[in-house]
Amino acid sequence: MTTPAEGFKARLQELGLGEEWEWNNGAWWAKLENADVRASATQMLALGARFVAITAVEIADKEIRLDYQWDLEGQLLSFTSATITQHIPTIADLSPAADWVERETHEYFLVEFAGRDHTRPLMTRAGDPLGINLHKEVAL
Amino acid sequence: MSYRIPIGPYHPALEEPYKLELICDGETVRDAVMHVGFNFRGIEYLAERRNYMQGITLVERVCGICSNVHSLSFCMAVEQLNGTPPPERAMHIRVILAELERLHSHFLWAGIASKLIGFKTLFMVCFTLREKVMDALSAISGNRVNYGMNRIGGVNRDIIDPQAVLNILDEMERDITTKVIPIFLGNHTVESRCKGVGILTKENAIAMGAVGPLARASGVVQDIRKSAPYSGYDRFEFNVPVETAGDVQARIVVHALEMVESCKILRQALSTLPEGPFHTVIPPSAKFKVPAGTAISRVEAPRGEVFYQIMSNGTDIPERVRVRTPTFMNMATVRFTVLGQELADSPLIQASCDPCYSCTDR
Repeated sequence: MTTPAEGFKARLQELGLGEEWEWNNGAWWAKLENADVRASATQMLALGARFVAITAVEIADKEIRLDYQWDLEGQLLSFTSATITQHIPTIADLSPAADWVERETHEYFLVEFAGRDHTRPLMTRAGDPLGINLHKEVAL
Repeated sequence: MSYRIPIGPYHPALEEPYKLELICDGETVRDAVMHVGFNFRGIEYLAERRNYMQGITLVERVCGICSNVHSLSFCMAVEQLNGTPPPERAMHIRVILAELERLHSHFLWAGIASKLIGFKTLFMVCFTLREKVMDALSAISGNRVNYGMNRIGGVNRDIIDPQAVLNILDEMERDITTKVIPIFLGNHTVESRCKGVGILTKENAIAMGAVGPLARASGVVQDIRKSAPYSGYDRFEFNVPVETAGDVQARIVVHALEMVESCKILRQALSTLPEGPFHTVIPPSAKFKVPAGTAISRVEAPRGEVFYQIMSNGTDIPERVRVRTPTFMNMATVRFTVLGQELADSPLIQASCDPCYSCTDR
């Protein structure tokens, strides 16, 4: 089972990432209500972090919570944000590694990543229904 | 004059469906567009409609090569939420399974690469060795592909006779060091087909979030077993081979050396298997509920980091199961590796990234 590296919280402060971090079940979570995903991506890339994943999950009023995961010096850092009217800014222009992840998140959860040149289908085909992972028990 | 050459989805080089459109000037590749999703099965959707016990069986079917790492990652995340860490013996057995799986995956990759290089004798050698690994996996688990070994709080089966696996390992290690490594590292045919071909620069590897042997062959030092050890990997001595050339040859070297390191880990794990139980007792599946919360697990699969995030709402069915596989991150790098290369080298370049579309598409 993963355990936090000794003293990594101090390292986060040393790197200028503040004190608002909490270790929880496999990752360091930023204690932010709604992280600015572009600002956090810029910060992570400047520190040499590796983009890992975005996890989308449905919340109230058709909005989607998005957890952005970065690997910094072997430790996993998570920033949580959420869509506003199903929109959130893209980070694919900052981190090309996020391109495929954003495309599949769009297909699975109907999230619009604002600022993208295109959102070509990745797992589905042109014309297929979107939002295929949403918790709706109806025929797609 | 430019030509657009569609390759796949019934792929001539790799026996998995994906499509690559190559834009060529004569025989030179100028651009590439990747199409995936032909194996999309909605694993995440399905996992959020089954209980945790059914989920283990389901996620083991994400991949037919690294099936074990998926059930391992799933169980590790649930164990964090549930507070049921596996006993020491189970952790050792998980390491043994994971390294045997890495070996058989690397032999599969080495065999396919040999075939594409045009070295069919080496293909035969690699697949013979792979059979030995699969025999060992079969002896331990009863299965060659889906082992059914992981459970929440441990493993389902014990390794009763570690010496028998060590005997197989002796034979395998001898063949790796006397046949596979010398040919891959010193043979002129291999070198002439692979050196300077399909380069992925360190900058591109980092930008695209590449993981595993592909990233390590481009000079990116990264291995979850070292950076965020799980299942007691921090107790074993092993090296993480890293090359800097970023070409097909570097990927071959990294894979070959990783086989030796896997043997080293296996020898330590098998010879120090702790006494005691191999799983903790948890309630039967119908009563098994997981406390509300979120947990993340990361495992170093044969192709690199596998990421699982599980969110529980306190019931017996997960609210969210997120699966991000290594090939999902690695495949987009193919565009960079084929640019400016000969069209005839593109199958080998693609194969050298060790892609798994079953994993990618889920």
